[in-house]
Amino acid sequence: MKTWYRYGICIALGLLGGGAVAVQQVRGGLNDGLVSNGPWETGKSFGTVDASTLTRAKVALSGLLALPAKEAMYFTAQKDSDGRALDGRCNYVVRGGKLDGRWWSVTLYEGEGWLVKNAAKRWSVPASAVAVDEAGGWSFIVSPSAQSGTWLPTGSVPKFDLTLRLYHPSTTTIQRPEAAQLPTIERKECA
Amino acid sequence: MMRRWIFPILAGAVFGLGAHQATLLATPYALMQAALMKVGKQGPANQFAFAPMTTAENQTIVRPSPDLSYSTCVFDVSKGPVLVDVQPVPGHYWSVSIFDARTDVAAVRSDRDTKGKAARLALVKAGQAVPAGYEPVRVGYDRGLVLIRILVAPASTFPSVDAIRRKSTCRQV
Repeated sequence: MKTWYRYGICIALGLLGGGAVAVQQVRGGLNDGLVSNGPWETGKSFGTVDASTLTRAKVALSGLLALPAKEAMYFTAQKDSDGRALDGRCNYVVRGGKLDGRWWSVTLYEGEGWLVKNAAKRWSVPASAVAVDEAGGWSFIVSPSAQSGTWLPTGSVPKFDLTLRLYHPSTTTIQRPEAAQLPTIERKECA
Repeated sequence: MMRRWIFPILAGAVFGLGAHQATLLATPYALMQAALMKVGKQGPANQFAFAPMTTAENQTIVRPSPDLSYSTCVFDVSKGPVLVDVQPVPGHYWSVSIFDARTDVAAVRSDRDTKGKAARLALVKAGQAVPAGYEPVRVGYDRGLVLIRILVAPASTFPSVDAIRRKSTCRQV
């Protein structure tokens, strides 16, 4: 085999492999792998010049136009509190208490971050939609079928994620998101 | 035999690392460019477009919040500064953020920062003068996006929020 054939084959494989690895990494989810808190994951450098090349690319794909942490934090859960992938054919109870910020909402997405079509035309649960008990606790149901009380439709998609937005988070939460009090996601029955 | 492959394999590894970094570096620019084109269809450059509340049927940008109203302005400072005047919406969280072509936030101001008053920002590149009364925001690229978020909760407040936000302006001088 001629020398330039060998170079051509190796360089072509290198280009394809390098690009493929990068695409695979970028498609690996919104978190940058630095901060986990129960089922939730987040990064500390979204939207800033401090973000790594990989984090910036991931956010561009799965959370374009994200705000920096002082304005809003984005916690994404792809699994329940027992570590099982979120499945739109199952029911879940999301249960939390007072969150350390000015306002919050939980939104359900499929794929890289798209709202799921559903008959109820409901895609999120904002703080104002839940009933808060005397201890500050609240809960809502995520389900493929209509439920009594506050519920979030899954559209029966096989895979989804939840994004918790926390606007104007406290300084403590910005500095130590891994220690913030965040909701649990408990799986119930599946269809 | 194997010795003939050592240098080609090393060359392949170097090109592979280069392709990896180039892909990561290019991704934000490419996706932001696509977003600017999508948003740009809603109106001309240097002018706000006031989108309806986001639903599964009309979403254009990935991971939207259905609880926020979005107003967008594709800015272009190549021919002069762009002035952004944001009308405050009393009783609602709101913010204005400036995203550059690399997706980085050049500035963000919310009702907390302005203490409920209007935000007045001048987007300028190096060498451009800042008009009096405006807070300068230096941008490293000619094009980017201005985004106003306003919390609409409950949803029934949207008509009043919509009437106020339409007083916000984005214009080139």
